[in-house]
Amino acid sequence: MSVETPDTVLDRVWAPFESQSGSRRSLLLMSPLILFEVLIFVIPFAMLVRISFSEQSQSLPYAEGTFTVASYLEVLQSGLLQGIITYSFKLGIIATAIAVVLATFYAYATWRADGLLKSALLFSVVLPLLTTLVIKTYAWVPLLAPNGTANNLLLAVGVLSSPVQVVPNTAGVIVGQVYIVFPYAMLAIYSVLSTVEWELVEAARDLGAGRVRSFFEVVLPEIMPGITVATIISFAWSVGAYSAPALLGAGSDRPFALEVEEQMLLNFNWPIATALSTIMLVLMFVSIVIIYAVLGRFGGDISDAA
Amino acid sequence: MSEINLKHISKSYGDLQAVDDVSLSVRDGELLCLLGPSGCGKSTTMRMISGLETPTSGEVYIGGENVTGQAAYDRDTSMVFQNWALFPYKSVLENVAFGLKMRGDSSEERTRKAHEMLERVHMEGFEGSNPTDLSGGQKQRVALARSLAVDPDVLLLDEPLSNLDKRLREEMQIELKDIHQEFAKTFVYVTHNQDEAFTLADRIGIMNDGRLVQVGEPTEVYRNPTNRFVEEFLGDTNFVAGEVTDVSDRYAHLSTEFDSTIRIPAFGTVDPGASFTVSLRPEFMWIQPADGTDSPEGATARADGTGGDTVAGTVESTIYRGSTIRYVVDVGGEQLFVEQSVTDESGIEEGDQVELEWNTDDLLVFDPDGSRVRAG
Repeated sequence: MSVETPDTVLDRVWAPFESQSGSRRSLLLMSPLILFEVLIFVIPFAMLVRISFSEQSQSLPYAEGTFTVASYLEVLQSGLLQGIITYSFKLGIIATAIAVVLATFYAYATWRADGLLKSALLFSVVLPLLTTLVIKTYAWVPLLAPNGTANNLLLAVGVLSSPVQVVPNTAGVIVGQVYIVFPYAMLAIYSVLSTVEWELVEAARDLGAGRVRSFFEVVLPEIMPGITVATIISFAWSVGAYSAPALLGAGSDRPFALEVEEQMLLNFNWPIATALSTIMLVLMFVSIVIIYAVLGRFGGDISDAA
Repeated sequence: MSEINLKHISKSYGDLQAVDDVSLSVRDGELLCLLGPSGCGKSTTMRMISGLETPTSGEVYIGGENVTGQAAYDRDTSMVFQNWALFPYKSVLENVAFGLKMRGDSSEERTRKAHEMLERVHMEGFEGSNPTDLSGGQKQRVALARSLAVDPDVLLLDEPLSNLDKRLREEMQIELKDIHQEFAKTFVYVTHNQDEAFTLADRIGIMNDGRLVQVGEPTEVYRNPTNRFVEEFLGDTNFVAGEVTDVSDRYAHLSTEFDSTIRIPAFGTVDPGASFTVSLRPEFMWIQPADGTDSPEGATARADGTGGDTVAGTVESTIYRGSTIRYVVDVGGEQLFVEQSVTDESGIEEGDQVELEWNTDDLLVFDPDGSRVRAG
């Protein structure tokens, strides 16, 4: 009797999964991925949340085995930390708006180009992805610094009478952040745009729609899934920006990623760092739901983008 | 008035000459078919009328006005696309009302007109549907309604029926003809299908290799092709090449590929040694068993003095084609085909010895460069 038990117990454990997955084999194929997700995302994230509910400690990063919501209250009540959260979202919104608009134009130009020009436009987008983030972000410093190339050129031509401080400054952070997310935004939009039939635009023009009108009436609704994906990628990345503010920003350019780093590594205040991270995560989640809802209304089916 | 005048228009893409010096007049209210094989430049010609392409050289006039430099959205033309090009994120009603919206009609006005148009194409009840949910024939009707809704001076149709099955295509052809009569607009219709052109057109313009080869009424281009391409494209025919051996007063003798001499009408300048190609249309030939009994038509042909001609051969195969039977006859190593109505029971079978007979004056003769040579 006991010989059969392992088999039947296993079957009983398995039954609810089987009805959902369709077959055991598909679950088996997914198991490395599930294991990977659990190990590198679910468990560390659970630990992070747990730490955020710990008491702060003078001698240790956090007091183990304690439970309190003090760090959350501190983050939500501190003017400094509120300013940091606001700054992160401002940077996210501005960089995303600029990147998505530019990327839409660029993708449209690439779509309409052919031959060598098309290849050149596509290659120019992919090329920056081949260099490390830090180097290509830092490359803006000699370009935009007060005694850098751009200022010298504009001074020499006579457009400017005195150098403009772009780097280190918020303007520099925005330029750098737009530059970082632009390729991803462009590729997300282009992948959808390239499936749109040009004939639709021709039909719209034939029926009396001008160039701008035909874009808004016919092309934009079709590429909305791509624009939604581009917006979410740009926004999530820009809110969590680290390298552009760190390398191109002034002291006042302080998004939450820099603050988290300082709390973790300099102040050894892990509960504050993790509470700030958790709050940002919740806010990001809410923002993305809002982006989906708003952009989804303008037409297009988001699921098309997959 | 909305007659179209194309004056020496050409279009090239790099080295490719898509349209080569085409001059064409489309009369007001006429339905003109541009007919030709794919890649002959017929669609490009139409797109230059619509303004979606700009000619490399030449001018386009619509209603007497030079519109060569005008963009598509400024022209009073409307196009029905081969793949319909319906806007997928708009409802059927919004699609049909699109042109009216662009024109600035009020919301009630364009809804009313769009309803009217959908009713005209028998698509009432589909106003709220998504175009992607419609069948090919339904999409075609919506596309037609969308183009007609703006009340264009000229309606351009780019192979609109080529994606439909045969039965539906024939049904739509009749409907298009009705619509053309009802709206009394100038229609230009591009197709590669001869039957469609013959069914619809007031006049047919035949294009090949970027050039306009011949323009005329269907009966004229069929009966009186100006060159070999038109003859070949408009219908199945037998081409027989040969050399003139001697010339009598009415007929020249042509020594043909199949080792048999046939007669062709003699023209003023025919000299022995000249090469010609003759078109022997299957419907101009009679087939009869080679047992000496004449078919009544053959006897008549000879009796009226115009002179018939006969070759002997063996039936290689018979192909049943519904209303007709096609006989492929081996004549001295060359194949000729002839068609006969199935009701003319002749009892001819594969392997039978037969005679093919025709009236010499029905032959169409072309010189080696393809142009038609006329008797007289």
